[in-house]
Amino acid sequence: MKFPSPIWMHVKSFLILILLSVVCGQDRKITSKLNPGCNTCSAETTLVYVRCDGSADSIHQIWDFTRHLPTVIFTIASLNSTLNVTWDGKTPKSFALSEKPHYSFATAIDKLYEYNDLDDNGFIVPKYPQHEYSLSKVIWHLNESRFADKEVMVYLNGFIDDERIRGIINIKLDLIPFKDYATDLPHLIHTANSTLFDISLTNLTTRSHYNASRFALHLLMISTDHVTDTMHFTMRKSLDDEHTPGVFEIIEIKTPSLYSTGEGGYLQFRPVGYTQPERGVASSTVAHVSDFNRTTLPYRSTLRLFYGGSDIADLLVQDMFVSFGENGDGFYKQHNYTAWSFTIGYGTPPVEKFSLFVIMIISIGLGVPLALALSGIVYVVLRRYRQRSITRFTNED
Amino acid sequence: MDNPESSSSTRLNQDPPTSWCHPAHRVHRFLALILMCFLCFGSYFCYDTPGALADNFKGDSHLNTSQFALLYSIYSWPNVILCFIGGYLIDRYFGVRLGTIIYMTIVFIGAVVFAFGVYINQFWLMILGRFIFGIGGESLQVAVNNYVVLWFNGKELNMVFGLQLSFSRFGSTVNFWVMEPIYKWVATYYSGYEKLGVTLFIASLTCLGSLICGLILGWMDHRAEKMLNRQEAQAKDEPFRLIDIFNFKPVYWLVCVICVAYYLAIFPFIALGKMFFERKFDFMPQDANTVNSMVYLLSAALSPFFGILIDKTGRNVTWVILSIVTTIGSHFLLAFTFINPYVGVMSLGISYSLLASGLWPLIAMIVPENQLGTAYGISQAVQNMGLATVLILAGIIVDKYGYLMLEMFFLGCLFISLIAGVVIYIVDSANNGILNLSPSVREAYLNKSANRAEETANLLDHVDSSDQEEVDSRLTNQQSSQLSNQNAGIESSGDFPRDPAQAHSDRIRSRYISQLLPSTIPDRS
Repeated sequence: MKFPSPIWMHVKSFLILILLSVVCGQDRKITSKLNPGCNTCSAETTLVYVRCDGSADSIHQIWDFTRHLPTVIFTIASLNSTLNVTWDGKTPKSFALSEKPHYSFATAIDKLYEYNDLDDNGFIVPKYPQHEYSLSKVIWHLNESRFADKEVMVYLNGFIDDERIRGIINIKLDLIPFKDYATDLPHLIHTANSTLFDISLTNLTTRSHYNASRFALHLLMISTDHVTDTMHFTMRKSLDDEHTPGVFEIIEIKTPSLYSTGEGGYLQFRPVGYTQPERGVASSTVAHVSDFNRTTLPYRSTLRLFYGGSDIADLLVQDMFVSFGENGDGFYKQHNYTAWSFTIGYGTPPVEKFSLFVIMIISIGLGVPLALALSGIVYVVLRRYRQRSITRFTNED
Repeated sequence: MDNPESSSSTRLNQDPPTSWCHPAHRVHRFLALILMCFLCFGSYFCYDTPGALADNFKGDSHLNTSQFALLYSIYSWPNVILCFIGGYLIDRYFGVRLGTIIYMTIVFIGAVVFAFGVYINQFWLMILGRFIFGIGGESLQVAVNNYVVLWFNGKELNMVFGLQLSFSRFGSTVNFWVMEPIYKWVATYYSGYEKLGVTLFIASLTCLGSLICGLILGWMDHRAEKMLNRQEAQAKDEPFRLIDIFNFKPVYWLVCVICVAYYLAIFPFIALGKMFFERKFDFMPQDANTVNSMVYLLSAALSPFFGILIDKTGRNVTWVILSIVTTIGSHFLLAFTFINPYVGVMSLGISYSLLASGLWPLIAMIVPENQLGTAYGISQAVQNMGLATVLILAGIIVDKYGYLMLEMFFLGCLFISLIAGVVIYIVDSANNGILNLSPSVREAYLNKSANRAEETANLLDHVDSSDQEEVDSRLTNQQSSQLSNQNAGIESSGDFPRDPAQAHSDRIRSRYISQLLPSTIPDRS
């Protein structure tokens, strides 16, 4: 049977469209392992390997705390690819991917900054007195974990016990193989292609001579793009604050590859942090993002181990600060708590849609009065018409 | 209270006053008018202080939106009942002078307790303060209406009512303008929740000012009573009879639905608006307050003109439906676009004033005159009840589901009132469109019916019995003139009927005048 060509063209493009939407909205099959290949590892060693198989490619994720800096690495390769980790005692020695990856990007938090916010606005600027604490001495303890088909999750407590600072840093990493909103505020969108990173700074001691202490996170962003290129910061506004009440902005940091071709890595988050463990509108505060600077991979880090072999001209490394607070909030010591979430993912960042409820209200709300008005008009017109004809007949009599 | 017009005619019979100190002198009465304008200024000003400092309540007192909305909700609770008896207490027990001072004192105490609650950061004390404030707030308006009736008459009366209400509403507007600068100034001396408390103490001074005005006016009124031999008789009959509600027609209840559902999309929006403008549209706090104040400002400015417009064109139901539709449009703009919110809010303000001018006179056309007091009382009570409950709900919605959902909720309320409006239109059209006549037709209609006068009932009564083309009407001459009086707004005629029914109606008029007059806007209740 042969279709007339124009119709066949339409059908074909329609089928492709369906196929594409299936591919884009795809779920992935996830397999995960804690400390793969390590025989001597204990609860103090945490390296999670997650493999997410889609229909066309695999995402290999590494969540690493073994060298103290919390690190998430995404590597995209073909479905046949495998990643092997070799160990040297309780630290990984090498990562071997069976083939050259299509793309790779990563993020890590390498330092914590304490600064004296003299202007009381939450931003961190060089003129303020400040002190950096490397996270390389944090002892990470795996508190909770889940390695299932439907969810991979780890929750770690990091104990920081320096001579100048003490306290706990909690980090939760969470991956689900389908699209959904995170259970906790700010309810960021999870997809099969992205991992939720949630961090909280609990009971950190502040320096005695800073009376306006706040903490800022120092984030590294690495991608296999050209070294002279740059990450792109975009802030868009959504009409919908249903999932993050009162916050309309969405910030996305896109790798150059994503920015130019539509495929690449991203960080996505709302500019909101929380100053109490009970997250809500009353405990929300503003998260500020600084400009990006070029930097290098930290020494003796898993990042250096992973990307060390690659061509330096094809590795973009940038950093940024994320700081928290707003004018008059009493600084960090007011609640001794700051929490923040972002997602790191591959592909195009997900966009939130109006929920069914919103669409229903609009359609019912507009539909019912309209239907009522129409039927009313018909009724009145009919009635008038009938009355008039009755009167006419009476007159004719 | 005596029939006010007859007392004023006594006043007119006096020798023409020579000194401005004489109570009947134009200047003297003008002075009284200024004092009357300031009587409600304080309570209107303080009603919206939380709204004007919404982000500071979050930042300094760490209230979430649900707790914040409760500050507004609690104001409405006492008024579910007090809108019935506040005026009655004045007529029966306090008298207008004492009543005004009592209510004003309650308002002032409420404002101070609220400020103190914020100052020591005790939420229950804030709530208590707002509750006390609510007890005085609505009843005060009734007391002031009584004053106006005592001091002015005829053509002046409606104008003075309009002026007084517009000025009170202006109090809310000024509040939105000045609270942010005051807060900033206080912040240089205090910090944390103390600065918010001190700011509110300063705001409560407006209530003290109003109280002083009340005292001066009380003294002036006392003097006038002696010099003019004016007598205040006590009201004998009850201001409302609950039994009446069984006689109300379905159309009245439909109007009540609009009274509740429509206003739910206005007052809670203003109460919670500041943060919405700050967060969605990135407005600075002061700018957010300025946008928010637009609804009040426009309604204060436009209501007299819309009163005249509806007066000239009639067709109240059509105007009501039109204004509901434009309100829906405004909320759509605010919810689903990033267009400058001034556009949405200003069209909201315009629609709101138009609706108020069209809606409240409808009740006077539907309900027989001797039941008007009950009818207005009930519509106010259900409105307060709606506000009291929904404000709590609105706060929870913002906390849990955000501002888009809040807007969806407002739109839902507006859709309900639109449905009610459309149903009123259909029911009315099926009955020959009595409620939606143009003034000339209505006039002719009323004259025609008046000629066949018989005592009882109102327009719709004969509508109900009007299956035949020719309707037999039972409107009395006097009732029809009363009706046109009510609709005539600021141009009301100055004749003084003297029969008891008229006296009763005047009393109701003074109690619910803010609703009866198209030239003025209804209270925030």
